[in-house]
Amino acid sequence: MTADIPRRVPVAAPLGETAWRVRTRRWRELAAAVLANPTTVVGLVLIVLLLAVAVSAPFITEPNTPDPYQMPRDWGALNEPPGTPDHVLGTTNTGGDVYYGIIWGARTSLRLSLIVVSITVTVGVAVGSIAGFRGGRVDEVLMRIVDVFLSIPELIFALAIAAVLGPSFRNIILALAVVFWVKYARIMRAQIIHVKDNDYVDAARVIGDSSWRIYLHDVLPNAITPVMVQATLDMGHIVLVGATLSFIGLAEAGLAEWGVLVSEGQVGISAGRWWASTFPGLMVFVWALAFNLVGDGLRDVLDPRTEAR
Amino acid sequence: MQIRDYVLRRLMILPLLVVGTSIIVFALTRVGGSPIGIYLSHEMNQAEVAQLEERFHLNDPLPVQYVYWVTGVLRGDLGWSGVAAAPVTEVFPAKLAASMELAVASAIVAVVLGVALGTYAGARRNRLPDHLTRIFSISGASMPLFWFAILLLIIFWVNLGWFPIGRSSPELFARIAHPTGLYTVDAVLSGDMTALLDALWHLALPALTLGYGATAIIARMMRSSLVEELQEDYVDAARAKGLPERLVLRRHARRNALIPTVTVIGLTFGFLLQGTVVAEIIFRWPGLGRWMADAVLRGDQATIMAYVMFTSVLFLAVNLVVDVIYAYLDRRVVLGT
Repeated sequence: MTADIPRRVPVAAPLGETAWRVRTRRWRELAAAVLANPTTVVGLVLIVLLLAVAVSAPFITEPNTPDPYQMPRDWGALNEPPGTPDHVLGTTNTGGDVYYGIIWGARTSLRLSLIVVSITVTVGVAVGSIAGFRGGRVDEVLMRIVDVFLSIPELIFALAIAAVLGPSFRNIILALAVVFWVKYARIMRAQIIHVKDNDYVDAARVIGDSSWRIYLHDVLPNAITPVMVQATLDMGHIVLVGATLSFIGLAEAGLAEWGVLVSEGQVGISAGRWWASTFPGLMVFVWALAFNLVGDGLRDVLDPRTEAR
Repeated sequence: MQIRDYVLRRLMILPLLVVGTSIIVFALTRVGGSPIGIYLSHEMNQAEVAQLEERFHLNDPLPVQYVYWVTGVLRGDLGWSGVAAAPVTEVFPAKLAASMELAVASAIVAVVLGVALGTYAGARRNRLPDHLTRIFSISGASMPLFWFAILLLIIFWVNLGWFPIGRSSPELFARIAHPTGLYTVDAVLSGDMTALLDALWHLALPALTLGYGATAIIARMMRSSLVEELQEDYVDAARAKGLPERLVLRRHARRNALIPTVTVIGLTFGFLLQGTVVAEIIFRWPGLGRWMADAVLRGDQATIMAYVMFTSVLFLAVNLVVDVIYAYLDRRVVLGT
């Protein structure tokens, strides 16, 4: 949890070494270390594929009009098994094309995870920074609020919020944002307190830098790595939790989203119609797996203490 | 800080956290507007609706309503559950028993399997079993519970017909008394072997499903802490005095490796608690989780409030116990904020 940037840079840099060169070399080394782990590479490849599908969804399948995020309904082809012409992966009991749902579901998931991660990281980093940097009473108050948020299990908290706001995908996004920022606040605060004690921060203070400048130039860049690792893991985790909420029934019916599709397909399993649940659920799994693999790989490189390999 | 001071400090903060949680949850449940909907029916006229609003204090300001709610809770009144069509406190014990039976069974599965797998993999570091266990663990963290449950149902219920869904067979349910509400315990108490087998048979699939994620977490932790312990000097010493590898593992390394694993076991409890919502929906298990899901979909705020508060308090208590056990087991832990 309390990793700082790995100190691979030699203490005395060779002559002619500019800050920029040091920085690019450091990034190159980091990339090489990350890519040395085969499971991380598998994860990266999966992520690239999933993102490609999400981005190019309109070119892979004809967008449904007027709302492409709504499943197209083919009322002449209900419960068709996979392999049917026009419906490669079969249809649901309301004539939804499973293939369309999978492709556009990737786009829905990307939207969900990007929005939630950017909101939660921004809020969490801001709150954590204020608490860690200011300390004292501000810190105490903010951290007690964080404690309260952390005392409710996350899925149940999100479930309650989404329920109150009413069933819609936008409210799922909102609920997840309300629940997930606290983690980042915690991590960031711990990091700031750790980094603040370094000599270079004192040095900056001695030469008269403003607090804001010290924070931006010396503290934040050295404290942010664990947040990045957590954000990578959350890109997967949020889709997992979001799909769970929509599976339970908190998204609009007919949304092209994997959890909704699994829930729709669940009805037919006792009649032997396995496909409508199986394929979209597999996508949730692959999505979460891809980001978990990369997140774990990043953590191993950035914070070698967490797991002895 | 002394352990005693630490525990006292944590115990003092606990009520504050509970109150804070209740305020947040109460405020949240009312953001969406009045909870009157669940109590209404089509035949009601204006006066009757007004009467209901009066009865549930829905016209008072929010803080006043909160005080009503708190005094109600202190008097043992958690409100009326629209979904169950009964007072919350009346339905709660039976549903709690159902959920607890499922969660405890899953926890047993997870601890036994997780520790065994972790030990097996850790002792064979970087060999095939270790790699397979790693795949198993990473998959567990990425597995959507709702999908895993449906897959198992498709395989074992629809196609093979090996396992049933629901909680028990009706005729066996009627045959025995249910003093505890835990069907396995009830069957043992009435000495009915068939009923016990039936209860276990119904429990098996949901418990395995729910236990998978936790098994993965525990196996991973057990594996990495065992790998660490096996590099310690005392292990070399034990080997040097000629102890067979099996005993080195069982008597020395595994015992120490269990210390960090204990905390993870505690933390997976929150994981299991959340998982019951999904597992209970899919396996038609009549517990708290399914009740909560129904309440959520129909806007039954009394039930949502009760459920969220209950899980939070349980979660806080478990976390406290875990931290204390950990602090006690491993004195190197620095206590504090």
